[in-house]
Formats: sequence, C-alpha cells, structure tokens
Amino acid sequence: MLAVETRDLRRRFGPTLAVDGVSLTVPKGCVYGFMGRNGAGKTTTLKMLLGLIRPEAGTIRIAGRDALADRLGAARCMGALLEAHGFYAHLSGRENLDLSRSLLGLKRSELDRVLDIVGLTPDAGRRVGGYSLGMRQRLGIARALLGSPEVLILDEPTNGLDPDGIADMREFLRTLPARADATVLLSSHLLGEVEQVADRVGIIHQGRLVLEDDLATLRAGQAPQLRLGCDAPDRARAVVLGLGLTPGPDDGRIILAPGADVRETARALNRALVEAGIGVHELAPEARSLEAIYRDITAVYPTPQQEAA
Amino acid sequence: MMLRVLAVELRKLNRSLAAALAISAPGLIAVFTFFNLLRGKTAQPWDMWMVGATGIWAFFMLPMSVTALTALIAHMEHGPRSWDHLRALPLPRWTLYAAKAVSVLLVLALMSVGVFCLTWAAVKLAVAIKPQLSPTGVFDAPAYWTALGRMYLAATLLLVIQLWIALRWSSFVPGLVVGIGGTFFAVVATSAKIGVFLPWQMPVNMLATESWRLQTALGLGFGGGLVLLALMLWHLSRREVL
Repeated sequence: MLAVETRDLRRRFGPTLAVDGVSLTVPKGCVYGFMGRNGAGKTTTLKMLLGLIRPEAGTIRIAGRDALADRLGAARCMGALLEAHGFYAHLSGRENLDLSRSLLGLKRSELDRVLDIVGLTPDAGRRVGGYSLGMRQRLGIARALLGSPEVLILDEPTNGLDPDGIADMREFLRTLPARADATVLLSSHLLGEVEQVADRVGIIHQGRLVLEDDLATLRAGQAPQLRLGCDAPDRARAVVLGLGLTPGPDDGRIILAPGADVRETARALNRALVEAGIGVHELAPEARSLEAIYRDITAVYPTPQQEAA
Repeated sequence: MMLRVLAVELRKLNRSLAAALAISAPGLIAVFTFFNLLRGKTAQPWDMWMVGATGIWAFFMLPMSVTALTALIAHMEHGPRSWDHLRALPLPRWTLYAAKAVSVLLVLALMSVGVFCLTWAAVKLAVAIKPQLSPTGVFDAPAYWTALGRMYLAATLLLVIQLWIALRWSSFVPGLVVGIGGTFFAVVATSAKIGVFLPWQMPVNMLATESWRLQTALGLGFGGGLVLLALMLWHLSRREVL
C-alpha cells in the first residue's frame, strides 16, 4: 500500500521547467527523505502534493485518493509543516493550534495529544513571538499532526536549527511514524540528516527524480570502500594498483569491487604496505555515505550552465 | 463550515489592533464634535451635529478606515506567510476569503454604530459643561440610523475593492495608494456629478438631496459590491499563491 504516489508530475514557471516527470512512490509507514539542492524542485513537488500548485501534467494519489480530482479528500489525509510556518505571533502556541483545530472541526482534547507528542506542553501557553526556531518547528509538526493524518509532509524540518536542535529533531523524526502512526515525507538538502532518519530516499535534481530506492538497498548495491591513512601516499598508490585495487578520487580511499571481501582485502593490503616499508596508521572499511551516492548520481547530469555551453 | 471559519477569523483579531482602529475612527469624530460644540456661542440643532458627524464619517473616515482595516486583516496572513497553511487545509478556499470579507463588514458595522453613539455622547458631554449650548430641534434618531445604514451598504463596493487589493498583494502599498487616492478624490470633489460613480464617494452621496444621486450610489455601491465580492472569491480561491 502506497501512502503517496505520483506519476509524471510536471510543472513549468515561465521558461523554467521546475518539475519534470517526477514519479514518487512512498510506502505506508516509512520515513521518506526527499533530497535535492536548493531550487531542485522539492518544494514545488510538495506544494503540488498539498494542492497549493496545480501540475501541468501527471497524477497524484494520497492514501489512495486522487488528489487532483478530490483535493479536500486528499487534504484530510495530510498534515504539513511548510517552510513558512504561518503562526500568529501575538497568540500563544496553544491558541495557534486551537485555530487550526477549530478549522478542522476536531475535539479540544486533540490539542493535548499533539502537544504531548512534540513535547511542547510546558510552553504551550507562551506567545509564539517568544518561541525559538526549534520550538516553532515543533509547533508546526504538532499542527501537522492534528487529526492524525495518514501522511505528514515536512518541508525542511531542520532548516535554521542549531546543532542541538537538529539532533533533537533527528531523534524526533526517527520515532515519529511509530508515535503518530503516519508516513513521513520530509524534504531536505542536508543529506547527512536524511541518511540518519529515512528508510527510503528520492533524489531530485534539476526538476527530475534521478534516484529513488530504499536506503538499505541503495547502500547494499554500492561498492564498499576502505579508508587508508599512511605516511607515503604516492608509494601506497602503486601498491594499491599492484594489488589490482582501485584508488578513489582522493588518495585516502580505495573502492572495492561489489561483493569483494572487505576484511580479506584489508588484510592483504596492510601486509603489502608494511612489506613495502610504508607505515600504516589507518585502514578501515567504510560504507559509502548518502552524500557520496548523491554526488555520483548528480554528476551524471549536466548543470544548466554546462548544458548552455 | 462557513461559521467555523468566520469564528476563527474573529478570534484572530483578538489582541490585534483591530479594536483600537474600530474605536479610534468614530472616536476622533466624537472628539472633533465635542470641541466644535464647546467653541460655539449659540445653541445649534441636533441635525448639525449628527448629520455633520455622519458626513465626516462618509466622505473621509469611512474610506480611510476601510483602507486600514482591510490592510490589517490581510496582513494577519501575509505577515506570517500563513496562506499556504490555510489553503492546504481541507476547507473550500472561498470560505477563507469570505470570512475575511464578513469580518471587515462586521467591524465596519460596529464602527458605524460607534459614530452614532460616540457623537451623541460627545454632544451630551459638551452640553454638561456648557448647558446653554444644548442642541435645539428634534433628535431624529431613525433618520440618522437610516443615513448610517445606507452609507454602510453603499460602502460595500469600496470595501470589496480595498479587500481584494489587500488580499491579492502581500505589500500593503497598493491598497494604501488606492485607498488614499480614492479618499483624496472623494474629499476634493465631493459635489462633482461624476462622483456618484466613484466607489469612495458613494457613501457620502447618501446625504445627497437629489434622489437620483442617492439611489444610483446606493444601487451601485451595494449591488456592485456584491457582484465584485463574488468575483473576488472566485479569483482568490483559484489563484496560486507562489
């Protein structure tokens, strides 16, 4: 069962094709990381899911409902944290939530439930004007949780947070599907953050979805690598090549063939380096980061400047 | 559904400056009437004070108040950029804008009541200080209420124009420019024949002695206002807020 499914979404702003044939598949109950650099088309795609922008082409299904034919039905299944929070600074956190609760026609007890989930109950009576950015983000998520929607759409939930705030938000997002019984679709340009919370990722680049897969599958399909630290990198490179291994773009990493035995390769390399008289102070297996995967994939696509040239 | 959205809209006004605005505009007219009466040498008829106050309200204070009020109500959403949140809710979007229009109409109705009550109170207070200036003639309350009611209805068109502009543009400048410009022409060309077709002059035409002026301005102001309101709701609920 898919919580969100789009097919060939397309939207142009003037001469710019902001979203070009994006087909997302977000399974129910997962945390889906929607990644891309600023201006890649993330927010435009999310706004189309929320019915704020009309796609020129394509289809959108939210929890099985056709969002283009039945916006209100689809909107009832979604809660959203948008980049612009839209809180009334002269009202308290609870009063702000209560406005949305009233509009949604929910019981008053719903306020305590969502405030408890985001851990904002002690500060709910304070004016939002005095909230920190992290507290506003939490209040925004509390508002998105009103009515227990099946799908939560969070646009850059860690934007503007300090390191402690990011760590808190990461932990919070990781446990959110279980706590709120919802599917979380979050957009971010912070790849390291997405890597730590998402089960599935989609990478959008220049309006096109260039990759979508489960994070575990993605990592398993990538070649493992060894991180090497030694006192003679140039001579070590010759040893690496002599063993039939591939040095990475930077001399500190060696990319192995998919399926290669990492421990055996490390042992053989260490022996060869020591026999060659090279001092080794670091040799460790290393999983490829999401950032590395992202760079490999987006490098295939030319930038607009390159295309113009 | 509509009542729910309207109730939320009115709650948003809580602790905003709308109350101060609603009191200050009729209050200023009352203050002016109070000092104007005190500086008099002889008693004047009630009509002079009440019709004078409603005149000031119609040709200057009402259009300026509508300009300020529509800007304030629109900026409650423009300021914190809350349109995306509101428009993503499972509500028919026209209800969001209709609630704004009804809120402005309600506050304007309160202000109209304020003009009547505060002006009467100002006259009574001034007379308490100088009893010899006690107004002469009849206090024709039904006639004053009728004039204020007609002004209120005739103001519908200018109210919708101002609200549409205020909601459409996130900057308050276009609304202010139109409001100040409209009021300026309403003040400098109050008796111009063509003024009956100028939305900002329609309320003051409710004091016209020529029947055709009153009927035309009332019909255009109220009828045109309702038509324009329907167009505004259609346009704003369909447009994309990027």
